[in-house]
Amino acid sequence: MTDKDPKQTEPETSRIDPRLLEILVCPLTKTTLEYDAKQQELISRAAKLAYPIRDGIPIMLPEEARPLED
Amino acid sequence: MNRHESLVARQFGPRAAAYVESEVHARGADLDEAVERLRGESQARVLDLGCGGGHVSFNLAPLVREVVAYDLSSEMLAAVAQAASGRGLENIATRQGSAEVLPFEDASFEFVVSRYSAHHWHGFGQALGEAYRVLRPGGTALFMDAVSPGATLPDTFLQAIELLRDPSHIRDYSVGEWTHGLEAAGFTIRGVTKRRVRLDFKSWVARMNTPPLHAEAIRSLQAQMPEDVVRHFEIEPDGSFTIDTATIEAGS
Repeated sequence: MTDKDPKQTEPETSRIDPRLLEILVCPLTKTTLEYDAKQQELISRAAKLAYPIRDGIPIMLPEEARPLED
Repeated sequence: MNRHESLVARQFGPRAAAYVESEVHARGADLDEAVERLRGESQARVLDLGCGGGHVSFNLAPLVREVVAYDLSSEMLAAVAQAASGRGLENIATRQGSAEVLPFEDASFEFVVSRYSAHHWHGFGQALGEAYRVLRPGGTALFMDAVSPGATLPDTFLQAIELLRDPSHIRDYSVGEWTHGLEAAGFTIRGVTKRRVRLDFKSWVARMNTPPLHAEAIRSLQAQMPEDVVRHFEIEPDGSFTIDTATIEAGS
């Protein structure tokens, strides 16, 4: 196949729907998250944690999150 | 993840494809009932709580605005995302986390639907409280799961067999435990539909990759069941049996 479906060539990460990110909160503090598109992380300032997004799936597990330095 | 959650994820991760393919999970009168219940709710946002192989999500996505497929197992979610895209279902979003601490704002969903998941939760009451929190006022929750018959003797055999098959099993709650738990979380019970589901022994243990030692122990327990328990679960010569299930509709 020479004609590629443009949808399939988009990076996985672009599948994150901004409307659905709106309802996502930190599971620990229930506060809003900042989306870092470059790092593919969701940052909870309140919990000082960065939740990873892997293959387009936000991983909302505190044990999987990266602790933020002050 | 705590130790129980790691066990659940370990049990289900490698089995993801088996659950996407499983007939018991892909079909059922309970699933048909949920589809009928959501028909006409084209603006609804739905949480599929403990989505497993994703069958609730796949069936409801064509009817509603969007579905959030939520599970503890990343492998299960990857399988769901792949199957959703294969079926052209673009309004399914996947999120990983535990049922006891939901990463959603209060009142985010019109519907919370949970099928064959609650028997894995280590914090039943806490998870029901979270389900209530993320539902908008006047929203609807549909909980579907295997249930205990209630009486202590068949209950003990049921939980023992379930645990032997899957060490991450916590408990098949009785309808009474469900209604108490839901009311304690703030829900109003709207209705309970009880059903029976036959489980083919060979595929039931294969799906979970139950070790032969445990499968043998299940057969041994079945052989020692009192007559009324054998009758209740309709134990068959090859170990296949029939369990109780329920759909409980609750309002927030």
